[in-house]
Amino acid sequence: MSVTSGPASRRLYWPAQMQRNRGVRGLFVVVALFVALYAYLFPGLLTVGGVSKFAQSWFPLALVSMSQALLMLTGGISLSIGATVSLGAVIAATTMTGPLGVVGGLAVVMIAGLAIGAITGVIVVRLRLPAIVVTLAASFIIGGAALLILPRPGGAIPTWFSDLLAGNTPAALILLIVTALLWKVYLATPLGLSLYAAGENPVGAYRGGVPVDIARIAAYAISGLLAVGAGLFVAAQTGSGDPVIGTAFTLNSIAAAVLGGVGFLGGRGTMRGAIAGSLLLSVMINVMFFLGFPPVAQYVAQGLIIIGAVALPEITGRRGPR
Amino acid sequence: MLKSSLKAATGAACIGLFACMGLASQAQAAANCIDGKRQPPYTLGWANIYSVPTWMKQTEGTIADEVEKLKAAGLVDELVITDAQGDANVQIQQIQSMIDADVDAILLIAGSSTAPARVLEDACSKGIAVINFDSLVDTDKVTAKINTDSNKWGDSAARWLIDKLGGEGKILVLNGPAGISVSDDRRAGANAALAENPGIEILAETNTAYNVAPAQEAVTSLLFAHPEIDGILSLGGALSAGAILAMDKQGRDMVPMTGENARQFLELWKEKGLSSWATMQPNWLGAFAAYIAVKALQGEDIPAFVEVPLPIIDDSNVDEYLARAGDFPADGYIFSPWDEALFADIIAGSK
Repeated sequence: MSVTSGPASRRLYWPAQMQRNRGVRGLFVVVALFVALYAYLFPGLLTVGGVSKFAQSWFPLALVSMSQALLMLTGGISLSIGATVSLGAVIAATTMTGPLGVVGGLAVVMIAGLAIGAITGVIVVRLRLPAIVVTLAASFIIGGAALLILPRPGGAIPTWFSDLLAGNTPAALILLIVTALLWKVYLATPLGLSLYAAGENPVGAYRGGVPVDIARIAAYAISGLLAVGAGLFVAAQTGSGDPVIGTAFTLNSIAAAVLGGVGFLGGRGTMRGAIAGSLLLSVMINVMFFLGFPPVAQYVAQGLIIIGAVALPEITGRRGPR
Repeated sequence: MLKSSLKAATGAACIGLFACMGLASQAQAAANCIDGKRQPPYTLGWANIYSVPTWMKQTEGTIADEVEKLKAAGLVDELVITDAQGDANVQIQQIQSMIDADVDAILLIAGSSTAPARVLEDACSKGIAVINFDSLVDTDKVTAKINTDSNKWGDSAARWLIDKLGGEGKILVLNGPAGISVSDDRRAGANAALAENPGIEILAETNTAYNVAPAQEAVTSLLFAHPEIDGILSLGGALSAGAILAMDKQGRDMVPMTGENARQFLELWKEKGLSSWATMQPNWLGAFAAYIAVKALQGEDIPAFVEVPLPIIDDSNVDEYLARAGDFPADGYIFSPWDEALFADIIAGSK
């Protein structure tokens, strides 16, 4: 496939990018405002240590949001992301201090993520079962497996590895940037190109020769990899494993993706939107802390901000010249 | 293993001779994490894992009450409260924010027994007093941990019931959810007393959530199966309330029963004329944590683990508890009275 190059696609590329940004431009503004407000309330954010610590809080959510957005772009969804995060965390915490070492542990975690994702993908795609049901069932199986590996919170991550990923260095931010760049690279590959087509119009894409099934299964596999990656990072960040640490990530990943303009029906949305959505969810927690909101007001404020961020592009979009 | 790694950590910290001397001299006086640089009035941070359950609301109420006293004494100027909505990751993020905001003390009920360890160590290294109570974290890098002993809870309950039955009888055992440490520990605590008294026969055991309805349902079916029951070893307050309601519906005679300080149970205890025994996880652990935080910041020596003795409610003092029932929510817990003198006594007793 040589669809990536050639003058025709070049001419289409930038207008298409701008078009895709339209829905999330409002979100970008809101996110920028919140980050600025956070930096104003907590000037320490603008130091290496401050950025590092904040990026560490944000990074796992950003990864699971990408993991979820990837599936939603293909018209799928996953309710097992939280359990997969937990599994990644407990595998890391039980292998890395053992004979396998850090490298071996990393490999086991990544293989587990890819395998879980691929199996889920094959079941959803080949058996034509609804993703929401399959991944709900998978969440019980994966969550159960995490509890079997580590029934109670425990395990350990070598201190040097924890300090490397989640010490006073911006390692998390760098990893996030690298992951986002890898996503760009993936989109340029035939499978990556097929992703949007498979999500937006699977029948048309199939007739057009796009390997729809393979693209969707690959999306599930990569999604699994991103989720266990988040688990691995949480384990490094906390220095241990907890078999239920990931639970909240399932809903938060969907919230971040939807906030970022990723549609439930597939083919609509962008990864940058999902990442921005996750940043908003994460920065909001800190901003409300520094504003001194009492917890009850935080619930209300969170809801209002989310509705506002989703509504803003609609409002500005209608009034805009286009 | 923990001890050896701690030693290694201390060894690593003793790079310079001065650092070692500093550590040695400080260890004599101040509590863990305290560097002596923080001056009153202090800002306290209450990193709550979940604020919705009634027990949590009551606990937060005792913290607020204690903070009012400390404010009046000019020792505290602000209480910052966060709510992680049950998410251990968010709790870590909020503790990080508290460190960024440079609070003087962090009080917490942990959402995970391992996950907050690193961020708490970070707080500790910055001289912040870290007081962990109720759900504890596996780390030594905190100022103090405060809790009751769940094993003793089970042991005392079993011994009271066995004593009441004269060492012989058929009993039911009502447990909280399986696999939860509080529930497991209470049950394990009862084992020794049960083993010493072979005259006690366990007819059946239940595992339900700590709620009235599921306990009532479970006991109801057991009542059909067992026409003769001499006592009930209930290891939770709502479980006891459920058991009483189940027996009352079937017109069964009440039997000696253990329980906890849930208001509903205490009221049924009196209403149905039971002979009972109850203990509690006192909500004032929260107030105690605030009190200890300030004491530690002021340079007082605080033991690393403060064990809170279990307050006991029995037929002799249940009326005193019920007299105060109006001050507590209907679905809440009537905890024992507390004041700063009690806290000072407990600290002295833990040294």
